[in-house]
Amino acid sequence: MTRRQTNILYRTCWTIALLIAAIPFIFPFLWMVSAGFKSVTEIFGAPTLIPRVWRWQNFVEVFTYQPFARQYFNSLYIALAVTALTLVISSLAGYALARMRFAGAGLLMLFLVSALMVPEEVTIIPNFFLIKWMGLMDTHWPLILLPTFGPHGVMATFLMRQYFLALPKELEDAGKMDGLSRLGVWWRIALPMSRPALAAVAIITFLFSWNLFLEPLIFLSSLDMFTLPLALSNFTDTYGLPLWNLQLAATTLAVVPILIVYLIAQRQIMESFALSGVKG
Amino acid sequence: MTGLALKSLKKRFGSTEVIRGVDLTIDDGEFVVFVGPSGCGKSTLLRMIAGLEDITSGELFIGDRLMNDVQAAKRGVAMVFQSYALYPHLTVRDNMGFGLKVRKVPLAEREKRVAEAAATLKLDALLHRYPRELSGGQRQRVAIGRAIVGNPDVFLFDEPLSNLDAELRVHMRSEIAALHNRLDTTMIYVTHDQIEAMTLADKIVVLRDGLIEQVGSPRELYERPGNVFVAQFIGSPRMNILPVEAARQLSAGTAVPANAGRVGVRPEHLALSPALTAGLRGKITLSEYTGAVTLTHVETAGGQTLLVVNDGNGDHRIGAEIALTAEGNTLHYFDEHAKRVG
Repeated sequence: MTRRQTNILYRTCWTIALLIAAIPFIFPFLWMVSAGFKSVTEIFGAPTLIPRVWRWQNFVEVFTYQPFARQYFNSLYIALAVTALTLVISSLAGYALARMRFAGAGLLMLFLVSALMVPEEVTIIPNFFLIKWMGLMDTHWPLILLPTFGPHGVMATFLMRQYFLALPKELEDAGKMDGLSRLGVWWRIALPMSRPALAAVAIITFLFSWNLFLEPLIFLSSLDMFTLPLALSNFTDTYGLPLWNLQLAATTLAVVPILIVYLIAQRQIMESFALSGVKG
Repeated sequence: MTGLALKSLKKRFGSTEVIRGVDLTIDDGEFVVFVGPSGCGKSTLLRMIAGLEDITSGELFIGDRLMNDVQAAKRGVAMVFQSYALYPHLTVRDNMGFGLKVRKVPLAEREKRVAEAAATLKLDALLHRYPRELSGGQRQRVAIGRAIVGNPDVFLFDEPLSNLDAELRVHMRSEIAALHNRLDTTMIYVTHDQIEAMTLADKIVVLRDGLIEQVGSPRELYERPGNVFVAQFIGSPRMNILPVEAARQLSAGTAVPANAGRVGVRPEHLALSPALTAGLRGKITLSEYTGAVTLTHVETAGGQTLLVVNDGNGDHRIGAEIALTAEGNTLHYFDEHAKRVG
């Protein structure tokens, strides 16, 4: 066997092995998509991956059962708003913590990072009273403000700070010599050079907001205000039992934007998980 | 063209004083080189002139303007950094024109000045490239080009050649010298390479521990070093320093100043003679052939190792007994405080 043939054989064996290893991860996804096209009876009947009868009606009912389009839009705009705000605030704060010398900078960083160690469940009750006191119950503000300024925002700030610390200081000096202000250096030098970190923060923030469940559950009560995770759990019959076919059809639709983003920015997503230590 | 005046300049980082009172005048169009060992404060002093470090106390004048509190970009200076500091996300053209764009220079004027600088530095064909697509020498030329386009009154160079290989360094050194001749602008250059200092400078400033040890032309510093530190720092290999008693052995009949405590002699001024002749006796311990010259290590009876630069001819085997001699006028005398005498 030539060296080339050995290489091909080696790669083929690896590909087959990896495909087999991927089955447990891909199967639930395929099953979800498949079940989205089935009737409840068929879902609980003999298990098949291809539906015997394609029930397209599930996807129509998803939109008639509750204001799903509105809820979809809610999730989308909240996730985009949280992402945009987090990018601006975390990059500004991260830059200040990385580059500006001021009294207590180290202590402030320690204080911020310590916030990451407090579980979300511990702060939800004080947050509830705070939001109620602010008169923001059943609005989308808590879903924008809490992720932006809460532990997730701190983690984004920490990531940006670490990235800015690694940027060569001489580039910023060159910017100052060229006439840039501190803010100008941030905007025109530090930010363009931090695209990988910004992409990582954007991706994990979008996913975090998109998947947020506890906060919508606590702060929202109107169907029109619901976000997707809450809406998904609301596809139930009169006894409160899940309507599996609708729930899985809706979940399939909910996954679409994430899937599109993933296919477009696969490399950056992998890097962002590696950079942040966060799972998908 | 603009001169500079540094008056009792000090810089403190926390409790550490890194610049401890520097007084210096730099004339219009002069090429001044700051040299000194690592940590002597030469880069810090340059950054203070650039406006990248605050001045703790003292006064800095560029031209006749007090610059202590003036922003870096408004001092009329341009700096070339050791790492080039080119913006990786911008092309060569945009890197060179960036400062002009920030200062809102009209596009046509900007393009004209970038094109002129590019032509001067032979960068015309590289204007569309990104820094990562350039060699070290090309990057250095872009960094110089970026400094040129702003028509600064003063150029500052912070060890600009230290990242280049030996051959390219020699080439870029001559380019910088040619640039100074062409622009006739004040240039301040920081290096720890004394060959760069000697070849480029009109005036060398030797720094140690945040203080100026001596200021002078390369020839002055080589021929009349003000103290032992400068004597040993300028010149390669470094000057041999011996007890003053050795002076008469090296050069019979030479007049030794009364208050001299030590005598210095450069390796290139020492001559090797057979052991039977008069001179400072010693034994050859090592002989390093470098092609043009041979560097011979000689151990004296006092156990001190002296360096001798010679042509490599003659019987200079390791272990051979020899005598060292020197012309009286090549000897340098220093007092007990290491200051020059005579």
